[in-house]
Amino acid sequence: MATDLPSLMQNVVAPLVKIVLLIGGLMTAAAYFVLLERWMAAWVQDRRGPNRVGIPLTRIKLLGLGQPLADGIKFITKEEYTPAHVDKPIYILAPIVILAAALAIFAVIPFGSVLPPIPGIPGLDKEPIPLLVAPGLDPSLVFVFALSSIAVFPVILGGWASNNKYSFLGGLRSSAQLIAYEIPLGLGILGVALVSGSIRLDKVIVDQAASGVWNAFLQPLGLLVFVVAAFAEAARLPFDLPEAEQELIGGYHTEYAGLKLLLFLVAEFLHMITAAFLIVILFFGGWHLWGLTGFSEESISWAQALLRIAVLSAKVFLVILFFMMVRWSWPRFRFDQLMALAWKVLLPLGLVNLVVVAVMVEYGGTLKSQFGGGVYWIFAISGWLALIAAWVVAALVSPSHDDNTPRRAAQKFDTEAEFYRTF
Amino acid sequence: MPTVLVDGQEIELAAGEKLNGIQVAARAGVEIPHYCWHPGLTVVASCRMCLVETGTRNAETGAITMLPKLSPACQTPATNNSVFVTGSAKVIQARAMVEEDLLIDHPIDCPICDKAGECLLQDYHFQHGQAERRADLRPFTRRRREMGDTVTLFVDRCVMCTRCVRFTREISGASELMVINRGSHEEIDVFPGYPLANKLSGNVVDLCPVGALGDKDFLYQQRVWFMKKHPGICTGCSTGCSITVEENQDHVYRLKPRTNMHVNEWWMCDEGRYGYHHVHHENRLTEPWVKSARGPAPSAESRDKKVPDTFSKVEWSALLDAMDSRLRKTQRLAAILSPHLTVEEAYLLAKYCRSIDGNAWIAMGHVPMFGEDQVFAKGFTVRAEKCPNRRGVEEVVAHFMGRVPKWEDALAAIESGEVQAAWFSGGYKKSDWNDENVAARCQGLATLIVQDMFRSPLYDQADYQLPGAAFAEREGSYVNCKDRLHSVVWAVRPPVGVRTEASLYWQLLGMPGMYRSRRVLDEIAGEILYFNAAGGPIPPTGVDLKVNLLAGASA
Amino acid sequence: MQPNDPQVKWIEEPKLGLAGKMYLPLFVQGLAVTTRHLFSPKVTVSFPEQRPQIGNPLIYRGVHRLNKDEQGRVKCVACFLCATACPAHCIDIIGVESPWPDREKYPQSFSIDELRCIFCGMCEEACPVDAIELTSLFDLTGRSREEMIFDKEKLLSVYDQTKDAEPMKSTACGGTVT
Ligand code: SF4
Ligand code: SF4
Ligand code: SF4
Ligand code: FES
Repeated sequence: MATDLPSLMQNVVAPLVKIVLLIGGLMTAAAYFVLLERWMAAWVQDRRGPNRVGIPLTRIKLLGLGQPLADGIKFITKEEYTPAHVDKPIYILAPIVILAAALAIFAVIPFGSVLPPIPGIPGLDKEPIPLLVAPGLDPSLVFVFALSSIAVFPVILGGWASNNKYSFLGGLRSSAQLIAYEIPLGLGILGVALVSGSIRLDKVIVDQAASGVWNAFLQPLGLLVFVVAAFAEAARLPFDLPEAEQELIGGYHTEYAGLKLLLFLVAEFLHMITAAFLIVILFFGGWHLWGLTGFSEESISWAQALLRIAVLSAKVFLVILFFMMVRWSWPRFRFDQLMALAWKVLLPLGLVNLVVVAVMVEYGGTLKSQFGGGVYWIFAISGWLALIAAWVVAALVSPSHDDNTPRRAAQKFDTEAEFYRTF
Repeated sequence: MPTVLVDGQEIELAAGEKLNGIQVAARAGVEIPHYCWHPGLTVVASCRMCLVETGTRNAETGAITMLPKLSPACQTPATNNSVFVTGSAKVIQARAMVEEDLLIDHPIDCPICDKAGECLLQDYHFQHGQAERRADLRPFTRRRREMGDTVTLFVDRCVMCTRCVRFTREISGASELMVINRGSHEEIDVFPGYPLANKLSGNVVDLCPVGALGDKDFLYQQRVWFMKKHPGICTGCSTGCSITVEENQDHVYRLKPRTNMHVNEWWMCDEGRYGYHHVHHENRLTEPWVKSARGPAPSAESRDKKVPDTFSKVEWSALLDAMDSRLRKTQRLAAILSPHLTVEEAYLLAKYCRSIDGNAWIAMGHVPMFGEDQVFAKGFTVRAEKCPNRRGVEEVVAHFMGRVPKWEDALAAIESGEVQAAWFSGGYKKSDWNDENVAARCQGLATLIVQDMFRSPLYDQADYQLPGAAFAEREGSYVNCKDRLHSVVWAVRPPVGVRTEASLYWQLLGMPGMYRSRRVLDEIAGEILYFNAAGGPIPPTGVDLKVNLLAGASA
Repeated sequence: MQPNDPQVKWIEEPKLGLAGKMYLPLFVQGLAVTTRHLFSPKVTVSFPEQRPQIGNPLIYRGVHRLNKDEQGRVKCVACFLCATACPAHCIDIIGVESPWPDREKYPQSFSIDELRCIFCGMCEEACPVDAIELTSLFDLTGRSREEMIFDKEKLLSVYDQTKDAEPMKSTACGGTVT
């Protein structure tokens, strides 16, 4: 390892600064997203939501913007209660692991484009500074995947260690769910990877920016599969079966309280933020916006760099708003429907998308030489046709529509006793 | 064998059995409503509630002849081939009419009447009355008349069944109550200057089918439906009447007699009936104290001031271990078994002391005697011996000692220095079972343990002052003066801080789990011949140990 | 009951059309409803600044009061019927002989644990003399559990406080049963 000052700055100081900024930003964002979520919940239900807490010890209410602080203080000062019947080491480990994994994913997620070189600081004065904690990591999509699968373990461990049947049921459900939806999620990503020929997230953005065509237009089917799977992976409604309060009290974190519960809840929000980032980066051009942000990462002005960060954040914010709206718009799936959706609908659809994209990529070169830029129109149209066709077929086959009406004809009993025996 | 027909059911009577229509119908599972008839009193047939159709069946032809008019079932003896019809339209109408008549002048003040909830007028009106009232609704009057120290009369509520009058004539024998005036002006009253004042007066309240006679002790205390009823045994005297302990939220509100034809029939005496107040007395001891250093006997004042170096409050858990190890260091032990203990408790304490010291003294505790036995007209007896279990404890003592050392013998042994440690069990209603004299005689003991409900000279001097349980908190068996054994379970929990004797002994003996009287009784029945008959199931009316012993011996 | 019993009414699940199976109507409806409500006027009352309007105070079920008769005495006759009816077991009464000639029994102490109360109004229904009533006072707060156990004096004072705004619901029954 080089120990001279420039490489020290480049390899140690700069990443540390980025990590601090990122974690600080994420934690604050998570806290305020909780507030936003509560607001949205209230507004959708014709209530006002938290609007009381402002600046402490004053009467200034600030629309309730002090609420996250109050919530945080409450969580931290709450009794750190550990039930007597839990498996202590695992019980404590679970929330730590889930939060660590959720945070670690952000090492490879770009939160902007690049910053121009900063003159005067050795090591950072020559090349643009990528806004990414681990910029050199080539297979960054694989990294994301690996870490998001780790999220299954703390959930199962938490449910198991709690030694409570509802927690355990919640843990089991969510393990099945997370594993099942990992596959459509991967298929969604694969399409994007095929198109950009890389599994680096920053490269995916640069590709979309260079061509000016976001992946969402080219492979809407992939987007659909990915978004649904991302909802399920983040365990958001309508896929929040792991902690379905009405059935399981609180699912795998029923027995948690205080700070440990907070870790679980923050991790859940981070999952949602991660999902939003991935959707934006993979399908909506990341920091790119036509005519505003440019597309080169080689030379960049400060204004452009900041603009790109703003565009990316705005897009992520919009996706999160969508997440929150969805929560109040549709009821939860039943567990068998959930599983059928993953295996019988999303998996085939993802494969179809992959095939369509593969064909596009295979013949993309030849077509491009013929039609020039018009090739994107061909791609987009075929992508949308694939979406519509696949959706209609899926609906006609309706594998997730399970007939659960009682069948009158099947129920002929000679005696009442026989009838009751069937229950 | 005589056969009676009740609503088409054939009921066989034992030869020589004398039953009336109500009793025979009950055997057929049919309830005939009745106010004035009571199995313990003579028949007057005045209320007319029990009217049914009666007749006879011709023994040869089987033809049935019915009487044209209704007759009172209480007054109609059931003989061979009697026929009773209890559910015909005529009978139903007659009952509705009786109910209507009774309610013409009856105040509808059920919300404030103590009888509501166990009132026959309410119940029968609900079952047999008509839904609609034809008489005028008038504001009701409220006249209260004192019958005596224990009983009060709400004159307008009376239905003139005269049960109360007959009771004072036939059972208590003092004839204080009478009917004054005639016709619809009839009322119950006492002679001026001669109030209802006999030892059985409380029973008229139980007899009264409505809320006319009120128990002053219970008046306005609780609504009857709030109370849980627990079968129990009165510990007032050695008759050992079967009672019901009625309790709500661990507070005893009243005791009622429970029918037991072998002991008390339907009655109990006032002394027993009102003798539960000590259970909730404010002076009850509720925490264990230990004398820290053996010094001069503390005066009552020093204990009141809780002088720290002489007495200290302890946790039961710590106390038991300390007590146990101290007793084990002593040479000669004595256990004084109070006749208020149950058989099981007496046995456990004796067993515990013998397990420490193989020759421990087991002696009878003080047996309180007050006055003379009092026998009433029909044989109900209130005994002078004011404890429930002398016989049972005696037999336990005899089992361990081979003889029955009395209270005096035990005191003499203690005084002579033969015994170094003594455990006195209490449970007496009053704390007068020992005085300064007794305390002085126990001065020489190295270890003195006293468990009782109230303070006494001996208690103040004890090294271990343990609060004890009251009768309603105990579980176990009592043997009455006629060698009849009854088993009861607790009705209320002891006050916070108090542990029942049984649970204490159980723990000292290191027995597993919670105290279970049945397990101890089985052990006793196996070991002591006298209790042999208690090895089987104990019916609510008890088992006669003597008769069974004789039967067992002759078999 | 047999499944083919004529009393059993069979209800069929509606058949889904293609659109339904495509999840589209549900998708659109759901989003439309939530979006509409997102911007619709809010119904929450901002309590301390804004007092809620109670439609009909006579049928509102708030804090209890113990009514007084014309002579200012407690109307209750200590019949325990409210305590009997109360599903939450929160009424505690000690009844004694009344000091007044026209009354047999009255409550020496009467307490309601307002924290345990579920404000169902059963006590009001049960009372034979209309002595206990639920008022429209709703902002019931206290700093300790003990403070929330309302005794007779407090319940009577609630009557004084509310009697003008909310007259006794049934004045027909004079006040005493005698
Ligand atoms: S006071 Fe009771 S027992 Fe006596 S006559 Fe009247 S109703 Fe019968
Ligand atoms: S309102 Fe209901 S819960 Fe409250 S005191 Fe009355 S009966 Fe009990
Ligand atoms: S029901 Fe009415 S009269 Fe009876 S105790 Fe309750 S408040 Fe008093
Ligand atoms: S019970 Fe027979 S007339 Fe009264």
